[in-house]
Amino acid sequence: MKTPTQPSPAPMDLSLTMSGSAVSRFFPILGEGLLVRGPGAESVEGFLQKAAGVSPAYLKDVVQTVFLDGRALDDCSTTVLGDGAVLALSAAMPGLAGAVLRRGGFYAAMRRPISHEGGGAAAAGAEITVTLKLFNLVARDLGPGLLGRGILLPGSRLKDFIARQGRWIWKGCRGATVDGRRVGVEEVPGLIRPGREVVLTVASEQ
Amino acid sequence: MEKILRINMGADGGPKVKTEPVGSYAGMGGRALTSAIVSKEVPPTCHPLSEDNKLVIAPGLLSGSAAAMSGRISVGCKSPLTGGIKEANSGGQPSQMIGRLGYAAIVLEGKPKDDALYRVYINKDKVEIKADKSLKMLGNYAVAEKMKAEYGDKVSCISIGPAGEMKMAAASVAFTDMEFRPTRHAGRGGVGAVMGSKGVKVIVVDDAGCKARSPKDAEKFKEANKAFVAGLRKHPVTGQGLPTYGTNVLTNVLNEAGAYPTKNFMWGRFDGCSKISGETQAETENARGGEGSATHGCHRGCVIRCSGTFYDKDGHYLTKQPEYETVWAHGGNCGIDDLDAIAMLDRLDDDYGLDTIEMGATIGVAMEAGIAKFGDAQAAINLVKEVGKGTPLGRILGNGAAVTGRVFGVERVPVVKGQAMPAYDPRGVQGIGVTYATTTQGADHTAGYAVTANILGVGGKVDALKPEGQIELSRNLQIATAAIDSTGMCLFIAFAILDQPDTFQALLDLLGSFGGRKLTGDDVVGLGKSILKMEREFNAKAGFTKEMDRLPDYFKKEKLPPHNVTFMVKDSDLDQVFNW
Repeated sequence: MKTPTQPSPAPMDLSLTMSGSAVSRFFPILGEGLLVRGPGAESVEGFLQKAAGVSPAYLKDVVQTVFLDGRALDDCSTTVLGDGAVLALSAAMPGLAGAVLRRGGFYAAMRRPISHEGGGAAAAGAEITVTLKLFNLVARDLGPGLLGRGILLPGSRLKDFIARQGRWIWKGCRGATVDGRRVGVEEVPGLIRPGREVVLTVASEQ
Repeated sequence: MEKILRINMGADGGPKVKTEPVGSYAGMGGRALTSAIVSKEVPPTCHPLSEDNKLVIAPGLLSGSAAAMSGRISVGCKSPLTGGIKEANSGGQPSQMIGRLGYAAIVLEGKPKDDALYRVYINKDKVEIKADKSLKMLGNYAVAEKMKAEYGDKVSCISIGPAGEMKMAAASVAFTDMEFRPTRHAGRGGVGAVMGSKGVKVIVVDDAGCKARSPKDAEKFKEANKAFVAGLRKHPVTGQGLPTYGTNVLTNVLNEAGAYPTKNFMWGRFDGCSKISGETQAETENARGGEGSATHGCHRGCVIRCSGTFYDKDGHYLTKQPEYETVWAHGGNCGIDDLDAIAMLDRLDDDYGLDTIEMGATIGVAMEAGIAKFGDAQAAINLVKEVGKGTPLGRILGNGAAVTGRVFGVERVPVVKGQAMPAYDPRGVQGIGVTYATTTQGADHTAGYAVTANILGVGGKVDALKPEGQIELSRNLQIATAAIDSTGMCLFIAFAILDQPDTFQALLDLLGSFGGRKLTGDDVVGLGKSILKMEREFNAKAGFTKEMDRLPDYFKKEKLPPHNVTFMVKDSDLDQVFNW
């Protein structure tokens, strides 16, 4: 007899209000990956625009380095994303390695064995989930908007992130709510369950 | 800078000072000058710690002037680590001060006949050399404090720690920064051991009463400098990425690419990467020390400001912001994901006077040998302390990864010509592997770092799709880098030059107006080639053959996860790098 599967619990809703620039304490978690759900059969460029609000102009001008499933990607306009893909975005990077990993850069030949060949296909209409990693200036640029609207994360990732930041993470935190209930910041780590996804919203109090 | 200061540490009756005109070395600075003096005056087959070796400390061509970013300094000698010619580069305050004092170079020659340890004091009127037993086995921080107490905080120091005194092949030469801390290092190749062999613990540089060096065409120089600074500030790498996150911004990116050497080059990706990334590091520094803590220059006149200040958990100063290579060497390469432990290792390295890349790579090899477990931060700290104390184990580790691998029977030792590889796995980024293999310096990422080759048009147009493109790219990068290393300019200016032709022109104008002659890209290329030629000839006479221009065999055999790639560039292609 087949055991009925438990429906996944609804994500926990964690909202934090931080003073001014203290929102940036959460930018590093954007580099660990947030879950983005959006339409299938889209190019990298199309998916980012529709599901994460990243404009093609920003992608072209600022996002100089793109990785798809750990490989440096040169063509964002024709490469199609599949379900479960891992997409990482970075601004221009220093060092020869930075120049080498750049999208379509002069030194791209130096990393050919780890370049993404592009292409790919997925069924149109189906919703896909992509892990999106935002590094460095891209996290700084897009972070406030994404965090302000709320990002979806595995609970284990957020719990681990908060634990290793120590007390510094709460510096400048003005208030917290969990599933609409006001809580003290010291309670927050204990309320995050590793097996439950979290919608983390971090708003800036000017 | 029309004179060279020579100090013969082995003269009868004690050290003797001689100041002489630059003569045939006129017009050279930085790496061009260190390599010219070493290749002309040092017997290539001499023992690196013998009286015949020389330690050459040379500011760049523009050091001491008002040119932005011009405070880098070169230290050259025959390397005790590689056995070949060496140029190690550093930031800090001394370069500008030596330039203002008018010295193109300070050359330490000979060797004391006893075991006395000396301090040297240089100002515009005199050069004073005193034996000083009280400095013996002091760390660089204590030496700097002692000199500050005696000479005030307007001077700068060039010093060695216990590692240099013990003549370890991983020993560095320290340069004080704007806060009088010994945090900037000419790290690579054991230059600190050569300074130790000369019996010099510290050189105090005092430029009181000296003016900035004057350009030949002051008006054009001022204009060019303004355009150069504007170019650096508007570029996303030099104007935003580096000041905000420092060089450690590369951690996440290299890790994502699967080219981040992990646990002694066994994997290309590290699980704990995000805990030690530049983004996390910058946030930690700013949270503990206040906004702006992650942005700081390594010398006056730096407008990129890719450094910062690392504070401990209680908010107290621990060390300068560890660089990407340091965080990798002591972090991912050893399986350590604790930023506080990595910062402590950086502090210890700076204090003992050790190259962070060599030490991190060495501890990685020691961990593979079972001396400590991968990921054990406290064990890594204890191992570096062994080096500082000079215990038998510490003496082995302090002589680098190659020696440590040999002593403990480890096959996977990531070195070329005896020098440890930096933080880019050559199987992932094959072009960097070509530079590791063929550079005159031993495995060194900065030897082919100046991403300006396409602008300079060195060697014609490169076909990026052909395998031989790797060879041409590496060749061109090494030529461009050798030239920039001679100007005293920070290598990070290369990004603005790469993307902005007007910034490249501003650099040429800056150099041209300072020296009073118009410079072209061809002149820069010619300079780079001449330096490499000198260095190659020295190495050949020292016994280097083309068979030494190779990566260790395991890079061709062991596949690097997650992309499972090996180093595929053929030996016959590597032999073409210097065939221009």
